[in-house]
Amino acid sequence: MKCIKQEISFTLNGGAVCVDVPVTTDTLTMLRDRLKLTGTKYGCGEGECGACTILVDGVAVNACLMFAVDCHGRELTTIEGVQTEDGLSTMQRAFVSCGATQCGFCTPGLIMQGTSLLNRSPDISVEQIKRGIEGNLCRCTGYHKVIDAIATALDSNRSAPKEHS
Amino acid sequence: MANVERYEAPESLPELTQILAEGPATMFAGGTDVVPQMRVGARPVRPTLININRLADLRGISESNGVVRIGGLTSVADILDCAFLKQVASVVVQAADCFASGQVRNAATLGGNICNASPAGDMIIPLLVLDAEVELASWRNACVARRRMPLCDFFTGPGKTCIEDAEVLAAVQFPVPKPHTVGRFRKFGTRPALDIAVVSVGLAGVKENGCFKDARVAFGAVAPTPIRGRNTEAALVHVELDGDRISDIAQVAEQEVSPISDVRASAWYRTHLIRELMERMLHEVHQTRD
Amino acid sequence: MTALIEKETLIGKRVPKLDAPKKVTGAAQYIHDIELPGMLVGKIRRSERVHARIVRIDTTEAKALPGVHAVLTAADTPGVGLGHGKDNPPLKGDKVRCERDEIAAVAAETEDIAEQALKLIRVEYEDLPAVFSPAEALEDGAPIIHEQHPKNIPFTYDYHHGDVAQGEAESDVVIEDNYRLHFVTHCCMGVSGAIAQFDSEGNLTVHSQTQVPFLYKKEIAPVIAVPPEKIRVIQPVIGGAFGSKLDIYPFEPICIFLARATRRPVRVLFTREEEFLASPTRQPVELVLRSGVKSDGTLTFRNCRTLHDNGGYTSWGATTPFVIMQTISSLYRVPHCQYHTTVVYTNNPYSGSFRGFGNLQATFAVESHMDKLAEAVGMDPLAFRMHNAQQPEETTPQGMVFHTCGLSECLSITTEKSGFLAKHDANRETQAAPTRTGSAVKRGIGMASLLHVGGGAKIYRSDGCGTILKVDDHAHVTVITGSTEIGQGSETVIAQLVGEELGLPVSAITVINSDTEITPWDVGVHASRTTFIAGNSARGAARKARDKLLIAAGEKLKVDPETLDLRKGLVVRSDSGESLLELGKLIRSLHFARKAEVVMTSDYYEPPSVMQDSEFKGDVSASYAFGTQVVELEVDTGTGVIRILKVTSAHDVGKVINALSIEGQIEGGVVMGMGYAIAEHLIVKDGRMKNPSFRDYKLVTAPEIPVVDMHFIETNDPEGPVGAKGVGEAPAICTAAAIVNALYNATGVRFCELPLTPEIVLRGLKQCGGHCP
Ligand SMILES: Cc1cc2nc3c(=O)[nH]c(=O)nc-3n(C[C@H](O)[C@H](O)[C@H](O)COP(=O)(O)OP(=O)(O)OC[C@H]3O[C@@H](n4cnc5c(N)ncnc54)[C@H](O)[C@@H]3O)c2cc1C
Ligand code: FES
Ligand code: FES
Repeated sequence: MKCIKQEISFTLNGGAVCVDVPVTTDTLTMLRDRLKLTGTKYGCGEGECGACTILVDGVAVNACLMFAVDCHGRELTTIEGVQTEDGLSTMQRAFVSCGATQCGFCTPGLIMQGTSLLNRSPDISVEQIKRGIEGNLCRCTGYHKVIDAIATALDSNRSAPKEHS
Repeated sequence: MANVERYEAPESLPELTQILAEGPATMFAGGTDVVPQMRVGARPVRPTLININRLADLRGISESNGVVRIGGLTSVADILDCAFLKQVASVVVQAADCFASGQVRNAATLGGNICNASPAGDMIIPLLVLDAEVELASWRNACVARRRMPLCDFFTGPGKTCIEDAEVLAAVQFPVPKPHTVGRFRKFGTRPALDIAVVSVGLAGVKENGCFKDARVAFGAVAPTPIRGRNTEAALVHVELDGDRISDIAQVAEQEVSPISDVRASAWYRTHLIRELMERMLHEVHQTRD
Repeated sequence: MTALIEKETLIGKRVPKLDAPKKVTGAAQYIHDIELPGMLVGKIRRSERVHARIVRIDTTEAKALPGVHAVLTAADTPGVGLGHGKDNPPLKGDKVRCERDEIAAVAAETEDIAEQALKLIRVEYEDLPAVFSPAEALEDGAPIIHEQHPKNIPFTYDYHHGDVAQGEAESDVVIEDNYRLHFVTHCCMGVSGAIAQFDSEGNLTVHSQTQVPFLYKKEIAPVIAVPPEKIRVIQPVIGGAFGSKLDIYPFEPICIFLARATRRPVRVLFTREEEFLASPTRQPVELVLRSGVKSDGTLTFRNCRTLHDNGGYTSWGATTPFVIMQTISSLYRVPHCQYHTTVVYTNNPYSGSFRGFGNLQATFAVESHMDKLAEAVGMDPLAFRMHNAQQPEETTPQGMVFHTCGLSECLSITTEKSGFLAKHDANRETQAAPTRTGSAVKRGIGMASLLHVGGGAKIYRSDGCGTILKVDDHAHVTVITGSTEIGQGSETVIAQLVGEELGLPVSAITVINSDTEITPWDVGVHASRTTFIAGNSARGAARKARDKLLIAAGEKLKVDPETLDLRKGLVVRSDSGESLLELGKLIRSLHFARKAEVVMTSDYYEPPSVMQDSEFKGDVSASYAFGTQVVELEVDTGTGVIRILKVTSAHDVGKVINALSIEGQIEGGVVMGMGYAIAEHLIVKDGRMKNPSFRDYKLVTAPEIPVVDMHFIETNDPEGPVGAKGVGEAPAICTAAAIVNALYNATGVRFCELPLTPEIVLRGLKQCGGHCP
């Protein structure tokens, strides 16, 4: 299939980006192959695994299900944009200290999804955290430590000022 | 295979409908169906690709003159979070809660779910039992023309609807449910949400003094399209519910579906589940006070 | 006054993984993320048939497509077979034997071009009759899959000890059941891939996700006609392995062939669908188990026959009998035992190694039988198991020596903590209660134990691992280990063990482990061996460095090295903790001395295990791991849905080195074992996979997980590093068995097949065994 390209511009991890992409390309392919941001992972390409989770205008979505052209004019945050000036974000630190990453392939997606939960509502129960990550598959951890990490990050965020996504 | 020669991202309905009038186009909203379908070549590609996500007018939930209106571009997440819907038509919210995952709900739109016309489409079932209508818009005589049709007449087969090439689903609307309306949605699966329905059941009706004054029932994933359960409805209204009656009604439900077997379940199991879910749902509404 | 330094230990601490920071930032480089200049995309054309002769392959059009650099078929390759049976040539030239068969490959500028080129390859087939069940493949006149095996039997295994006839004669109760275990697959979140590149001298560098880099070189060399010494294997960060990367599968040599043909780096990456279609599966097994018991509850014999569906080719799945027979012979005391396996070729997908390696299947059968036998002699499941459990210092008739054995402790602590006996009785009472709507949910509790190797497995002449260790002038340690990190946290454990010896924090230690050009030899990651073998080797090297440092310090300080210790980067007096000398300073003084020296040591650890003899007897592992899990579940008898509520687990881990990591292994293993039992099912019909996607192949998701209550039994294995045993595989092994026992406790219905997905459970409960209208 041949397909035309379209020039789009958007904000990516705080910086302006302008690229031309084939109009049928998905956002995951654009991020990884075109913009060389490989932190966002391909796990299935059909919305089932969450490895490609990114934030678009602060809302978590599967990059593999999103047309790249639809990024135009929006604000994207990927795992590469989560770190703060002082280093790892609260969520990232919690993933490290709680042992929430093993092979780590699911980790960027889970951190993005965890960050979106944290930005949305600081007071959620463990059951809500479980539902909150129902779209993220992890084959290694059995999710327990991931849930711990998100709960830990929520806890420390309650006592600290709100973190930028 | 056709090539994509043009891309448009209109911002208003007149703009969109005019582009649609110009020739065959593929529209996408959230893209959660279109992107994977295109990738595996399951969808014929048309020369124009239209991003309809930028039509702010088509997004949102409102009520006026006793009619609830949900814009075609409203996301499933917005439906799930809508306090108003929770209050007046919780059956729609129940379905949204069983839908996909957080990430998919953020992107997936109501219009996309309806127009994708999967027999298992979860948002369709509650809207069927609320007697919803779809509003289709197109460009005619130099202005946007709208037509309405009942949702239950909209589907013609798996992935097939009555929508015309030049039309867009602008909104869904349904009368504000009357007082004492109970609504329930159940989808069978082993996960709370991220599962394609093996079967689903919806029910809404006015229940007074332990008895349904009117009722609408719908089933998902048991026929080529989502369907209304007319026989079940007839068996349900004006009867005093008790254990035996519930069992009879569930049997009517079981008899009026004729599902297929596939990798997800056999026809036998699907039929059994319809009965089981119907029975449980009726027991539950029977036990809750009017 | 000099500071007094207390001795601090790193053992048992919750040390975060060393590689966690790069994983949480997205910086970790997986095979999918590596970019080499000029790299081409390699893609594989697979068979559309399950059993057919290839009449003709025409690649003319594909080759002519602009952007295509090479199109290869079997004719372009040496045609040497891969795998345990060497029966699997990377590209098939004469015939195809299963759905995933590779028949041509393309290297092109882009993914799109490569895909287009694949479609332009014309293949003409001549269909052959196919066979999909091992039993049918054994019949006379069945289609022959490999001409050199006219009976379709590549392997058989026989083992026995004692005399089962005598055992049967001594029994008061004898039972026999057929078990049938299904296809599941690894579903590593990172799909498979490889990158190959030749330099101008013909040296090959492969970026491979292999779990066994050194064996890889040896095995792949004849297949690609490159001598092992010209092969360098670099392992990127691996997105999950679980055994799937133990064998070499056709895509890797194909990638290498493409790189050679194009003289460019080539990467082959799977899509998720391809990952399902072309990855190994867990070995499906049909198993007949006959067991006996005396009325006092003493086991008398086990007689087990299994039929292994080998699929079209032989990978590690065919060797799972090695492990299955261990559990049959030695999980609980069995005086008489006989075991037979026939491995049979079919036109189904083929199996590889998968965490637990046959043991999930064996344990499912054995532990189902343990419950049945207990009931038959009127004992409770716990007392019956206790009565037959092995004790420390026992040698099993198969020759395994249990220097330590925490089985009884595992049994008692899990049952006590879960309230097993009371719940077990109470649930039984409600088994027969009415199941109409409203009270359709029943509760069950069940238990199962496991035995698995915990100190490597000597399946090759060596089961060893090498380490090179150096300490630099600022007391930073580099540990170069042969072992591989696949996400299990071995790097961190190695750093802890080294830090412990050298009195340094893990932050002072770098572990290098991913390049055969640098790292010393190792057998690879399998058989839960890494902590044990690589840990011992690293510890050996660290001890040598420690000795060297203390002797040097003794000379410098003019004191007996015996009185010195290393703590917190300092040389201290061991009795008082008085700080005497900074470690970095000591090392610098060695570097600048007249007879300068570097602190660099090496160690090769070979466990004291032996290879099994021709009767499969011998102490094959340096240590054995035990565990028990108690599962509590709810089953909805109206729909067949099972919810796992809680798993109480106890594992004999020898010694906890890193609590965070071992908990992660157990939680992950339990959920994997649960998925095997109730969720995952690779549906194979007429040789074809019907659900190659996460949409229809159900992994367990977060809302479905049970509470996991973990207990660690520390038996301090004398051979293990600081007493530890390997437990990588153990937690996944007995969960399914405990689930099926709990399901029986809830419903009074015994299931002998997996998976226990809702429809199958409901059919079973309705006793219509798959023949419902
Ligand atoms: C992982 C995953 C899980 C899922 N789970 C569920 C689930 O639980 N339940 C369920 O029902 N579905 C599920 N889906 C399917 C999908 O998310 C829904 O059908 C979704 O609502 C489609 O909306 P969209 O905006 O993404 O549609 P798109 O993909 O953008 O479009 C879908 C179709 O509708 C057309 N269309 C979209 N909007 C309009 C409009 N306004 N007017 C006319 N035509 C229009 C498009 O042209 C296209 O043909 C799942 C999908 C994924 C990937
Ligand atoms: S890669 Fe997007 S959800 Fe799996
Ligand atoms: S850590 Fe390996 S998939 Fe989650």
